[in-house]
Amino acid sequence: MSSSNQFTIASPPTDAISALKFSPEAESTRIVVSSWDKHVYLYDLRDENGTVGEGKLLQKFEHRAPVLDVCFGDNENEIYTAGLDWDVRKIDMNTGQQTVLSSHEAGVRSVVYSPEHSIVISGSWDSTLHVHRTDAGPDTESQPAVVPLPSKPFSISLTSTKLVVAMASRALHIYDLKALALLTAQADSESTNGNRVEVEPWQRRESSLKFMTRCVACMPGDMGYASSSIEGRVAVEWFDPSPESQARKYAFKCHRQTSEDGFDVVYPVNALAFHPVHGSFASGGGDGVVALWDGIAKRRIRQYQKYPSSIAAVGFSSNGKYLAVGVSPGFEDGKDEVSEGVVKLFVRELGETEAKGKGAK
Amino acid sequence: MGKKRRGPSLEELLARPWCYYCERDFDDLKILTLHQKAKHFKCERCGRRLNTAGGLSVHMSQVHKEQLTEIENALPNRVGLDVEIFGMEGIPDDVLQAHHQRVATQFQQAEADRQAATGNPPAGSGASGQPAKKPRLEATSDLKKRLAEHRARRAEGTAGGSSGEATPVGAGQTPVPTPPVSTTPSAYAQSPTVPSPAPAPMSIPAPVQQYSYPQPYGGAPAVAPYQQPVNLGYPPFSPASAQPVPGASPYPPTGYSPQPFPGQPGYGASPSPYPSQQPTPTESAIPRPASLPPPPAGLSGLPQRPAFAAPPVNAQQMQQMHMGHPVPQKVAVPSYGNGNATQDTPQVPPPSDNNVSSAAPAAGTEKPADGTEKPSKKDKSKPTRMIYSDETTSPEEKMAQLPRYAFSRDRFTQETTVVSELGAPVTGTIRDQDTVVDPAH
Repeated sequence: MSSSNQFTIASPPTDAISALKFSPEAESTRIVVSSWDKHVYLYDLRDENGTVGEGKLLQKFEHRAPVLDVCFGDNENEIYTAGLDWDVRKIDMNTGQQTVLSSHEAGVRSVVYSPEHSIVISGSWDSTLHVHRTDAGPDTESQPAVVPLPSKPFSISLTSTKLVVAMASRALHIYDLKALALLTAQADSESTNGNRVEVEPWQRRESSLKFMTRCVACMPGDMGYASSSIEGRVAVEWFDPSPESQARKYAFKCHRQTSEDGFDVVYPVNALAFHPVHGSFASGGGDGVVALWDGIAKRRIRQYQKYPSSIAAVGFSSNGKYLAVGVSPGFEDGKDEVSEGVVKLFVRELGETEAKGKGAK
Repeated sequence: MGKKRRGPSLEELLARPWCYYCERDFDDLKILTLHQKAKHFKCERCGRRLNTAGGLSVHMSQVHKEQLTEIENALPNRVGLDVEIFGMEGIPDDVLQAHHQRVATQFQQAEADRQAATGNPPAGSGASGQPAKKPRLEATSDLKKRLAEHRARRAEGTAGGSSGEATPVGAGQTPVPTPPVSTTPSAYAQSPTVPSPAPAPMSIPAPVQQYSYPQPYGGAPAVAPYQQPVNLGYPPFSPASAQPVPGASPYPPTGYSPQPFPGQPGYGASPSPYPSQQPTPTESAIPRPASLPPPPAGLSGLPQRPAFAAPPVNAQQMQQMHMGHPVPQKVAVPSYGNGNATQDTPQVPPPSDNNVSSAAPAAGTEKPADGTEKPSKKDKSKPTRMIYSDETTSPEEKMAQLPRYAFSRDRFTQETTVVSELGAPVTGTIRDQDTVVDPAH
């Protein structure tokens, strides 16, 4: 039964998946996937006849190095990619033209786009954020603003007004996007000292989890965010700094298994994604399990049957009807080579209420 | 003395209804059927609960035009639709036998284990053994009681002073009596430095300048300059601040109360206000949190209270971090922040980062529960094994270092140096203050 409304996408990437994103357009079924095999894939869940199933590989964009993140731009015809070649690129889907927006000084782990402020933000292991204005006009020479961070950013996520940057050493910065956009735009016009802009975060927090942050994802309602760590735990927190709101934050254990010899085997929680409609969220762990959670009622909605390998990425479509799950053998199981056919892309068609919380007990 | 409750007998265990699909057993049949409806016979599409697999299959095909292929949440070898199960009915004989076998073996195993552990005779032999056993039992209990009493007396006699004071601190009383403070455990070990006000204030401003960290909320009361140096200087590893020391948490509020008090402007900079500070303002102006016991009578002894022991505590904690503890277990800072947050709420709302982060533990989220001592205990009771446990390098970075992903940019050599330099600040944070500063600035 669980297999009836879930299908695997044909011709998945040949190496581990690093990220997957659905198109921002409401009824679109397009999905981009970045992979360690140096390509970005564009799929459509619908085939020529418009029926959903199997999915279809539309395009494939080659990069010089493994691609670590991808996101859609203003519409589904442009994407931004970030990769191990230190570059942040913009790809025009129609022409296939690739433009390098900026180069970091180390691998670029993540890239996000804010449609509200027309900026692309990339986070790199060189401990900086690059902020690119996409409305800068034809002057493509304009350099991105460089925002230094205290540590390497591991995951970034944004809402319409805020940017959450989760870094090494359990640091976490929340930036006000408006201020960020403004400050970096100013720096751009002044163009002094190599566009380096010290931006004071709106809030500076310490992760409420004791171990390295793995992923951070913002709630659709601009209320707060969830973060996960390598130690099988997810924390849910609110932006509002008032003590009442802060009192609501919590964390819970998940993605653990008891082994035969009585050990509690703890898997990293690699991926988080919020459902755009119901506000519930999915977590994907190194144990190959995807679970849906109701962050408000603090309850698990459901847990899907184990996938064959570690979950690398999860994502909901814009209308909330599909859940895509990228499965890749984890480096956590110490495998060096990725054998054929273990990297898979599952898409689950969600029932009306499948991702909806049941409400507090 | 009533009959001691032993575990259920084998017959009772065998009579328990259990679920064919997942081998779970239940108290009664009704619950079993409810379980099956909820776990195995529930339609994933519409949530309707059917009574049997066949029913679900028909429902799926008629309502959703789909074919049911397997039972959800079932053991791998029981997913089939071929057996019609309702409650305990329909379970194939061989499976039933196997289940009984399993239960019996488990029971015997448990019995044997218990016997080995307690040395008690097996359940059956109780009838004959009881009369003889009873007096013996009483004797041992008496013995134990007497032993306990004796121990208590001895403990009182010998440990008298020190243990007497140490416990109250942990129990949430204010450690007013000063002299013993020095004998109390680590967190207060620095109290001897209290009398000399100089070191503390000196050490505080220093880091501030050193890091030249922007203090957006400098205008805020004294807390900011006070806390920030600590957390900012070591922003990455103040994990500290997330784990209150259970024993200490009730303590800091009183200890710290002077800071939020706005009437103490020069606190951080000059030692002079120090002595004047303790007596009255603390008690009169700052509302004590409800969790604290009423102010003890000996409050006049307040000057002696190691309110200023806080910076030294941090210093010690720094030392601990220098020793290379990735996540220091014993840290007092958080509890201080904690105390502040609960005690003086106006401190929290300004979105000063430190306040936010410190408000967190106070919020009574998972953190307090996971407090300092607990993780270690937990570890003992249920050992955990982390699949990925590198604290400084993310899995992606590790993966990127694999030769097959090596990417040679023109600046490849530079890349390697950059990477190693990046590593330094992180590890440096743990070990040595200087290495943190140098590469960063």
